[in-house]
Amino acid sequence: MTHLSEAEFVDLIDEALAPARAAHLDTCAACREQAAALGAMLHDTAAAETPEPSPLFWDHLQARVRTAIDVEPRPVASWWRREGFGAVVPAAAAAALLVAVLSGVVQRATQEERTPAPQLAANAAVVPDPGVDGTLDPADADVWDVLTSGSSIDDASGAGLRAQPAAIDHAVQRLSRAELTELGRLLEAELKRSSN
Amino acid sequence: MLTTRVWSRITACAEPGYKVTVTNPTDAELVEACLGGRRDAFDELVERHQRQVYQLCFRFAGNHEDASDLAQDVFVRAYRGLKGFKGQSSLGTWLYRIGVNVCLNKVGTKTPKPGSLDPLLAASDERIAAPDESASDALLRAERAVQVRAAIARLPKKQRSTLILRVYHELPHEEIAGILGSSVGAVKANFFHALNNLKRLMREAGTDR
Repeated sequence: MTHLSEAEFVDLIDEALAPARAAHLDTCAACREQAAALGAMLHDTAAAETPEPSPLFWDHLQARVRTAIDVEPRPVASWWRREGFGAVVPAAAAAALLVAVLSGVVQRATQEERTPAPQLAANAAVVPDPGVDGTLDPADADVWDVLTSGSSIDDASGAGLRAQPAAIDHAVQRLSRAELTELGRLLEAELKRSSN
Repeated sequence: MLTTRVWSRITACAEPGYKVTVTNPTDAELVEACLGGRRDAFDELVERHQRQVYQLCFRFAGNHEDASDLAQDVFVRAYRGLKGFKGQSSLGTWLYRIGVNVCLNKVGTKTPKPGSLDPLLAASDERIAAPDESASDALLRAERAVQVRAAIARLPKKQRSTLILRVYHELPHEEIAGILGSSVGAVKANFFHALNNLKRLMREAGTDR
């Protein structure tokens, strides 16, 4: 039988090691010695308790913290948190991000169809711009994949997508009426889902 | 509005002349109240968590004065970052995370001040916890505690943090992993090496039994 691993020694100390593995100690002097040394060191360490400060100290510490905080600006919750939207912010962020990416892609394709930039045309032979024919910019492609694959906000975070609260505010302000209506519909659906 | 609703519930039971008579609001409710402008809600949070924060700081600093400064710093940073607290972990865990970062940044690998290692001073402190103990036994135990603290101060940062959170704060490995941003496996490995290294350090210092 193999010697106990580091994690198994810790489990042994915690009395959480599987009996089958603990039985190894019966036949292995080296593991027994290691286990005894760890146990003794743990005992000595635990015995070195934190000295209790004076009972008056706690009031003193509170007063110190209060004084220090008095000069700090008051922390203010973001608007979405103040209004109780905390639970749906991830969904709202994803929706806002989706709308922003969609409008950005469509806008860019339209603009480029309408007025091709001179230097873009000059460079076209060297580096073809995928945006011209309405396909995604490679920089947007990953975002698009995450947003259109039915992924969760966790997947989006895992893919490196981040939306700061200020960025969400900014994105929402730039939405068109139709986009705002759609965002409202998504939020409402999410609120209903959360309350169920 | 959530904040108003929460604080109304908290203050509904307050009698005139008293700070708060409270229906025991949760930490999350106090955070919301604080973000809604109730500074005294933060006082309540400090009162609840100051012991654990101070003890953590003491373990890193090794003396009362530095531990007090560090504990104050932890709460000031928590206050500044309160709007970023998402409630994904408990407030206690979040404070531990701030505390470990503050302590590691400010204390680093510095050995505790010599004054804090005086076994006579420590013995007088620790006799309070064990009043039936003879003076010589208390002195021996205190001396041992001082040696252990000095050895802990020489451990690498992650090992030291893991040991302190596990032994003195009795946190589960999973919570320590969350605080330190490690895996549970890494926490167990750090704990194992911390104990082994402590033994080695005490042997090198001639204090191993």
